[in-house]
Amino acid sequence: MRSLGGARGPCGLRALFIFLAVSLAVLGALCAAQTAAAQGVRLVATTSDLASLARAVTGDLAQVETIIPPAADPEAFQPRPSDLAKLKGASVVARVGLGYDHWLDKLLQKHGDAAVNRGGPGYVDASVGIPLIEVKGRSLDATGRDGHAHGLANPHYWLDPANAEVMTGGIAEAVIRVAPELTEKIIANRDEFLDRLKARRNEWEQLLAPHRAARLIAYHNTWPYFARRFRLDIVDVIEVKEGVSPSPARLAKLAALIREQKVRVILHEPFEPEEASQLLARRTGAVVLKLAPSVGSMPDATHYLALFDYNVGALARALSAASN
Amino acid sequence: MLEDVLAFAALPLAAAVIFTGIHTWLGLQVLRRNVVFADLALAQVSALGATVAVVAGHAVQSTGGYAYTLLFTAVGALLLTASRGLARSVRQEAFIGVLYVAATAATVLVVDRSPQGAEHVKKMLVGSLLSVTADEVLKFSMLYAAIGVLHWLVRRPLLAASDNTGATTPDRKTIFWDLVFYLSFGVVVTSSVGVAGVLLVFCFLIVPALIGTLFSSQIGVALLIGWAAGVAASAAGIFGSFVIDAPTGAVTVVAFAAALVIAGGVRAFITAPAEQLRHNRRRGLRASGLIVCTLLGISGLWVVVAPAADHPVLSAIEMATGGPERFLTPRERADYLDAAAVERRHKAEVDRLYDLERRSRWQGGELTADEVRRIGSVQQTLTEMGRGERFVVNYLRARARERERWYIGLPLAAFGFVGIAVIVWTTRRPQ
Repeated sequence: MRSLGGARGPCGLRALFIFLAVSLAVLGALCAAQTAAAQGVRLVATTSDLASLARAVTGDLAQVETIIPPAADPEAFQPRPSDLAKLKGASVVARVGLGYDHWLDKLLQKHGDAAVNRGGPGYVDASVGIPLIEVKGRSLDATGRDGHAHGLANPHYWLDPANAEVMTGGIAEAVIRVAPELTEKIIANRDEFLDRLKARRNEWEQLLAPHRAARLIAYHNTWPYFARRFRLDIVDVIEVKEGVSPSPARLAKLAALIREQKVRVILHEPFEPEEASQLLARRTGAVVLKLAPSVGSMPDATHYLALFDYNVGALARALSAASN
Repeated sequence: MLEDVLAFAALPLAAAVIFTGIHTWLGLQVLRRNVVFADLALAQVSALGATVAVVAGHAVQSTGGYAYTLLFTAVGALLLTASRGLARSVRQEAFIGVLYVAATAATVLVVDRSPQGAEHVKKMLVGSLLSVTADEVLKFSMLYAAIGVLHWLVRRPLLAASDNTGATTPDRKTIFWDLVFYLSFGVVVTSSVGVAGVLLVFCFLIVPALIGTLFSSQIGVALLIGWAAGVAASAAGIFGSFVIDAPTGAVTVVAFAAALVIAGGVRAFITAPAEQLRHNRRRGLRASGLIVCTLLGISGLWVVVAPAADHPVLSAIEMATGGPERFLTPRERADYLDAAAVERRHKAEVDRLYDLERRSRWQGGELTADEVRRIGSVQQTLTEMGRGERFVVNYLRARARERERWYIGLPLAAFGFVGIAVIVWTTRRPQ
């Protein structure tokens, strides 16, 4: 036993060492490959929502950066020189499109890398394939009645969680185009995210089901996709022209509408001026509810799913409290 | 609705009356000191203070926010007081201008660190007079009454200091009363800017005071006239914004400007001394005639030179006399009217689809993604087709105007330039 053991001991130990060395080498190679991939794929998204979806799709396989800071008004955003630096070396650029992040075109032209410019393999316009609503036409329209002075349609499509499938599809395709070796992992990540999203969607829809057709007023026309998904009626918006405060005649008309239609909640965004909404609330008894239009715009909206957890939860609570 | 209109108008009007009360008095002193832009500079310095407070995590209306704003305003008041001493080597107004732009640029740099900075800067500029609350009105009335009483008690040394503007080496007494004035001025401006915004506060300060000084050099009479004009302009601005359905702050600023023009007209053409009255009326008539003839002459010439360009005067004439289709051939006229009708029809259909989709968000069965895409696609097509029809309308209107230029443009230009020549000739003719 001993001699056997003594004879097998060094052999077994060597084998163990070899096994450990090989395992470490393989693990190291895998880590190196993953680090190389992470270093190799750098995705720049114009908004925090697209960045959150990109993180869900790429996991730790890509470095994801955002241009518009969370809680800033994306429609009034002015890019800085540091944003140009972000685009340098980016392998994928994801944008909302529809004129919402129109300033990106100039940055991309200066950037000059054809791969992330329109038509390049790393260019993602996340609006492609989305069922758009409030469509105006292909040309720019400065007289839009929906409060958006630019673009083809209402651009807030990420606020319908069903659209995340199309958006993540566009992002995944671009990442796969620039790093085909990540195909399987990207597809697996996306599938896993969509499974979680589906489960949560059911919960959100159930939570708001008792409030179907609830009438709401919004400060800005941000919520039509959200309203469509959760069957809500946004009867009017306070800010008709983007960036122009409402006239007193409009406020008087809205006050009458709120009473007549029994509107209980006024939807507001954190970066919008509160005065008009609060004035209407004081006159009519409606409640001003701050919802998160984007990931990071409210402390609880830390990622794409949390954005809906917060918005749906807050709205359901406000509507329940108002009906009680 | 009428009840809402009155409710929405009552508090802003009360605030505007209170603002007019204190700002007219301060404005009269600003005019005497010849530092008209001191208000803008001080308001901007206080806005910088409020911005620093917001970035440091204090709400503008909080104690911390108010402390920051007051501290910056006090520094601004000290700088303005010191600026009188600079008058030996540099014009005081130039220094005030530099202070204004430096404070504005610093505000932009500070808000660059805050995600909601752009909104904050806009709010400081245009304010939100419409949403002033009863508590704020009470706070303003108490604060401004206290400052008003203080100024009334020390009115003599204050006015003496403001009269002493020519002194390039002011004595200690003048410096002290300058500091008192700028500090109290700063407190008022700081409080008012938060509600009314920099633009409107400038109007409250300067326009009623200007109107008052137009009619009287006595400060008491000028103050009474300024108050009356300020209250009338505020009421016209606030109620005017209801009537024309436009933002209150902007309409009130325009109402103040209109009040100044009207007051200037009254002063020149109605209340001027008898010997000046006839002269002023004759000059006013000539100036008006010259403006109208120049406008008509240049518009007519512009129609002749570039018939396809924008022509506001010609459009007004067309509206009064019937559209440009009168200058089209029967075939062109039919196409013109048809294109305009088709454009209207497309727009109506786009609106119908918009309402259909909007109602489907909460009524009946939910539209599928493909149905929504189809609606969007039809809306997009109709909008583009409508723009095509608009192009046809514009093209035919340009064709009409190419003919119209000889029938309307040329006579208009001739009328305008002959009118100018007649007015100039009668002006130069020996009396």
